[in-house]
Amino acid sequence: MTAKHLDLPQGTLDLLILRTLALGPQHGWAISERVQQLSSDVLRIQQGSLYPALHRLERRGLIKARWGTSENNRRAKYYELSKNGRQQLEVETDAWGKLTAAVAQVLGTA
Amino acid sequence: MFNDIVFRLRSLFRRSMVENDLNDELQFHIEQHVEKLVRAGLTREEAARQTRLQFGGLSQVKEDCRESRGMTLLETAAQDMRYALRQLGKAPGFTITAVLILALGIGANAAIFTLVNAMLLKNLPVADPKSLVRVGDAYQCCVNDVALDDGDYALFSTDTYEHFKKDVPEFEELAAMQAGFGFFNPLTTRRDGDGNLAHSSVSEFVSSNYFRTFGLRPHAGRLLSDADDVKGAPVVAIMSYEAWTNNYNRDSSVIGSTFWMNTKPVTIVGIAPPGFYGDRLATAPPDFYLPMKQIATIESADYVDDPGRMWLYVIGRVKPGVDRAALQAKLSGQLRQLLAPSKNFSTVHDKPLLEKAHVVLTDGGGGIQIMQLGYTSKLTLLMWISGLVLLIACANIANLLLVRGMGRKTEMSVRTALGAARMRIVRQLLTESIVLAVLGGTAALGVSYLGTRMLLALAFSGEPSVPIHASPSWEVLGFALGVSLVTGVLFGVAPAWIAAQAEPADALRTGARNVTGGASLLQRSLIVLQTALSLILLVGAGLFAASLNKLQSTDMKLDTKNRYILHIDPQAAGYLPSQVGALYQTMEERFHAIPGVMKVGISSVTPMEAHNSNDPIQIQGRSDLHKMAGWDRVNAEYFDAVGTRVVMGRGIGVRDTPSAPMIAVVNQAFVSTFFKPGENPIGAHFGSPGPSSGDAMIVGIVEDTVYTDVRMKNHPMTFVPILQRAASDKRPIDKVGALYAGTIVLETSRPMDDIQAVARKTLAGINPNLTMVKFQTFDEQIADRFTQERLISRLMTLFGGLALLLAAVGLYGVTSYNVARRSSEIGIRMALGAERSSVIAMVMRGAMLQTLLGLAIGLPVAMLCVRFVKAQLYEITNADASVLMVAILTLAVAACIAGLIPARRAASVEPQVALRNE
Repeated sequence: MTAKHLDLPQGTLDLLILRTLALGPQHGWAISERVQQLSSDVLRIQQGSLYPALHRLERRGLIKARWGTSENNRRAKYYELSKNGRQQLEVETDAWGKLTAAVAQVLGTA
Repeated sequence: MFNDIVFRLRSLFRRSMVENDLNDELQFHIEQHVEKLVRAGLTREEAARQTRLQFGGLSQVKEDCRESRGMTLLETAAQDMRYALRQLGKAPGFTITAVLILALGIGANAAIFTLVNAMLLKNLPVADPKSLVRVGDAYQCCVNDVALDDGDYALFSTDTYEHFKKDVPEFEELAAMQAGFGFFNPLTTRRDGDGNLAHSSVSEFVSSNYFRTFGLRPHAGRLLSDADDVKGAPVVAIMSYEAWTNNYNRDSSVIGSTFWMNTKPVTIVGIAPPGFYGDRLATAPPDFYLPMKQIATIESADYVDDPGRMWLYVIGRVKPGVDRAALQAKLSGQLRQLLAPSKNFSTVHDKPLLEKAHVVLTDGGGGIQIMQLGYTSKLTLLMWISGLVLLIACANIANLLLVRGMGRKTEMSVRTALGAARMRIVRQLLTESIVLAVLGGTAALGVSYLGTRMLLALAFSGEPSVPIHASPSWEVLGFALGVSLVTGVLFGVAPAWIAAQAEPADALRTGARNVTGGASLLQRSLIVLQTALSLILLVGAGLFAASLNKLQSTDMKLDTKNRYILHIDPQAAGYLPSQVGALYQTMEERFHAIPGVMKVGISSVTPMEAHNSNDPIQIQGRSDLHKMAGWDRVNAEYFDAVGTRVVMGRGIGVRDTPSAPMIAVVNQAFVSTFFKPGENPIGAHFGSPGPSSGDAMIVGIVEDTVYTDVRMKNHPMTFVPILQRAASDKRPIDKVGALYAGTIVLETSRPMDDIQAVARKTLAGINPNLTMVKFQTFDEQIADRFTQERLISRLMTLFGGLALLLAAVGLYGVTSYNVARRSSEIGIRMALGAERSSVIAMVMRGAMLQTLLGLAIGLPVAMLCVRFVKAQLYEITNADASVLMVAILTLAVAACIAGLIPARRAASVEPQVALRNE
């Protein structure tokens, strides 16, 4: 646990949520856990921003929500990618790749 | 986008469910996190504590979630609305007054606007009205055969029309229609078959391409074809959808059946489309459309073949891209060529007029706007008046809202002090105004619908088939709502803004005690404005009432007591001019046989009737003055029957038979027009200018009984025996249409309620085809001539009353507001020994001051305004003192009442109670 937690750059939270949900339907807590896990604990999502983001994505029709039962048999709200969300994920992943490549190139040649 | 809206709406309407879901979701997250920490080895309490710390403010997260769901804006709007309704409900007096004022002010405007829209702006219900062009801009009627002085032709002969149609390729179609159809030449119509009765119906003769030009399709059967419009072809007619519905219950067997029109057989070949009321707005639209050439067969009208006699209006559809100015010049040139050989331009006086002959092209989409002509100035006046009423209503609403806004200053301050954002307060007050405006606007729609129906009933009483409907159009709906919204927003925001600007602490500190805080200058000014405007409307109402009174009380030199007027049409019943002599004799005998009938007058026209014919006159042996006189053909009892007195010489007698030399009786105006003062006209001869100027000898002079219109009370008139013909008239007798009488006047010894039925039976007894075209008492006939004046006068009174009511309500509102605000001050005054009467006087002084100021401003303005309506007034050129006095007194009394109620309330303040409230 030596790695410092990084703050998320603006707009990346949505991308992370969409990417996480591409693996399958999840509830909010699991999403935050999964992001933390996948980023080797580097990225930690504040709950204060996670839920507003989920509701915003739901409103935009990128993810769908339904109530289901969790592993420990509790009522939980599950989110999954919609068709639009899947497209959006591709577009944003692509854009992110280009952005990071470009930034890396600039930093490398500086 | 759609997803977004559904999502927001879901948030809005299923608020509690969404809220519960949000709770559950966050709760689940917290529990999961606690579980995780417990599994990692923490105690449950420690785990909960850390989770809470990490999670931050739960309410904040929830608020953020709500925000990102997008429910705040809509939700607060709904919240504001609910709150506004609750607030309005808590002040029912204010709400009802405001809604009522808005409803009356806007409703009156919407009603007038609906009428204006329907009468002046609406197009005919035809295909593509924009490409229709009317040839002509004047409204000459009905058959004309003289050269026009101004050369502006709008009426054309069959010959001219046919040349235009043939030689002007710029027109896709060019249609012609009879100018003077309607009441003056109705058709006596009877459907073939036993037991069917003859009745009078309205018909219009039109060119065969009439319906084609308008782009109409038949509702049933067919419309006119070119083969129908040929002399000698079997006569066919198209029935209007309205007549088919109202008179024949949409019986499909009507199509193809035979009708007897003026005793000639006519086949109905089709039904016109629903809603089509002809080429012009008329109080009685045509029941039948017939091919124009057939007017020769049906009405024995010979003018259809005469190139010098003009009887048609012309409307055409121009091809796209045609230049109107060039077309107008081309048509004018053709017209001069066509008119050149006409006998109308044969005299030295008339010849130069040919050069002036021209046509003016106008938009034809609205049809022949002859009815609009009479109403435009009146409707414009009404629009101004209703605009003034709206202004008063707005001032009133503004005042009410201001009063209310100021009254709630404390409330607003408290809310600001408690942390409400200013914008939130402003938005909430705005919502309240808008809710109020929408309520008012909705009520206004009801008022406007009823108002339009009332206007139509007033304007066209007894004419049920006017094709104008009372239902407001979309434009009117938008207009009403727009006006109410603007008023509401404008005057709702101002006090809201002022209230929100106030420093809460200041407001709260002074909120409890109001000694000086009376109505603001703005409020007082609004009251003054309302009073001034109301005075103007009241003076206007008084002037129009005085004008109507003057019109009606004019000495028309006639007698209406126990007099009844029957309109008949012997030609329509199949009589030839050579047969009417015997008919009139039979009529005189049969009507005299009715018990109670004293006099039986038979004539072409009667006094105060819409119709009157004029001819140029020359006195034999004198120069032609180029002056006209009206003429009437009458029988021996006619003058007694209408109450015209002979002042010199003799009237018309039974011995003035067709074989006796032609004589005439003239009126005093005729004498003063054609003779020098002091000359004795008895024995002089007159006639049409030229060789026939010696046709009739004057044997008597009668009073100036008013024909046609009170405004024409000194119009020269000539009366000749009904059957006599001028010696110079060499036509065969059956060509002399003037011999047909149009009216029978009955004078009875007592009022006879059943005279209509008796008269109808008497006529039918003479000939079943002899229908009664119209029956009225003499008084009713005269009253009909004042319909428009009465309409205007009544509406002015109505609007004046409305303005008065609004002004009184406004004054009452502001005064009572002041009284309420000053109740503690008044209490102190009374505790210190002020008399109740002096308190009343104090309050009244304030109210009266504003009224007096309003009167002082309104009076000169009202007197100035008279000049704008002078043209519509009869013999009234300035506001006379009595009208002004009545208006001022009415307003003063209303103001007194409006002030006295709150003043008495102020005086009844109990000092102890008022002081305890401190």
